[in-house]
Amino acid sequence: MDNVSYQRFPTVRIRDMKDDVLKFELRDTDASIANALRRIMIAEVPTLAIDLVEIETNSSVLNDEFLAHRLGLIPIISDRAMEMRLSRDCDACDGDGRCEYCSIEFHLSVKCTGDQTLDVTSFDLQSSDPTVVPVDCAGRAADLGGFDSSEQRGILIVKLRKGQELKLRAIARKGIGKDHAKWSPAATVTFQYEPDIHINEALMETLSLEEKQEWVESSPTKVFELDPATQQVVVVDPEAYTYDEEVLKKAEAMGKPGLVEIYSKEDSFIFTVESTGAVKASQMFLNAIEILKSKLDAVRLSFDTEEADDQFGELGAHMRGGGI
Amino acid sequence: MDGGMGAPPPEPVTYLCGDCGADNTLKPGDVIQCRECGYRILYKKRTRRIVQFEAR
Repeated sequence: MDNVSYQRFPTVRIRDMKDDVLKFELRDTDASIANALRRIMIAEVPTLAIDLVEIETNSSVLNDEFLAHRLGLIPIISDRAMEMRLSRDCDACDGDGRCEYCSIEFHLSVKCTGDQTLDVTSFDLQSSDPTVVPVDCAGRAADLGGFDSSEQRGILIVKLRKGQELKLRAIARKGIGKDHAKWSPAATVTFQYEPDIHINEALMETLSLEEKQEWVESSPTKVFELDPATQQVVVVDPEAYTYDEEVLKKAEAMGKPGLVEIYSKEDSFIFTVESTGAVKASQMFLNAIEILKSKLDAVRLSFDTEEADDQFGELGAHMRGGGI
Repeated sequence: MDGGMGAPPPEPVTYLCGDCGADNTLKPGDVIQCRECGYRILYKKRTRRIVQFEAR
């Protein structure tokens, strides 16, 4: 038995970091880790979302269930979500919205009295906790740098005409995207393999200038360029390559197979993370790593102990795939 | 079996006329017709109770 260690030391290089978008390179690891992180960001990083709506008055044109669904989809600032409890695991309350560990209460009470149509937006939701408010709400922009939105209009819930009224209480709870997409903090999370492009220079020189130009233009994305000074084909943007293989087919058709060789680097990934605004994109990635670590801990734990699923605690939702 | 204990006295219910919009209070057995305009389609009002929905 040889003592081979498979331990690797992945590195991250950040390319671009804004509140809502993060672009980075993940190196020295494999697709299983990259994909695990991607999937966790989409489906398992917890956020807060309205989950229960108690409607007192609704004379708007939208019916109660329709409104409840719309309220559920409003992204809510979820910086506290990692520390909060899932309401089904909370033993300090009965889940009625007045529990500091698992729920946040919102009130909405609007009546249209004027002749003009009144827009009811996420700004009209009054939160019981000033740190937990719908995204894009006034104040956040000043406090935290904010997601840049030129006009502060909030998220439209319903429009009221004269005499119509809407009065309700909503309870926001912690949840994960696996249970319902409204809890997903991710707009999109993608990764691509970094391509490794080798031009066979000797073979390339057998091409005429027109042929070179034609071959460069066969790529649907601008990967190659014909240097006007040296008349050489150069790689300008390897990441623009979409693995469409058009240039390979073109080379084949021109009778020059092997003109270029393109491989994907199996241990190098370029990530793009976009947030809904509930959690900052960078925090989403950190939370994903935290969750992956605790999942791995749970697996290690189950090897050592013979206990039932109780040992997973809150992770049970992650291990079994949510549901109650 | 007579239900004398459980059954509350029949409560008159208010309906809205489908034509003129007037309030109409009806008791069981009453003719379904608006007192103001004679229209025969009446609508039940929304409950005064709070209704609860899951936002899913």
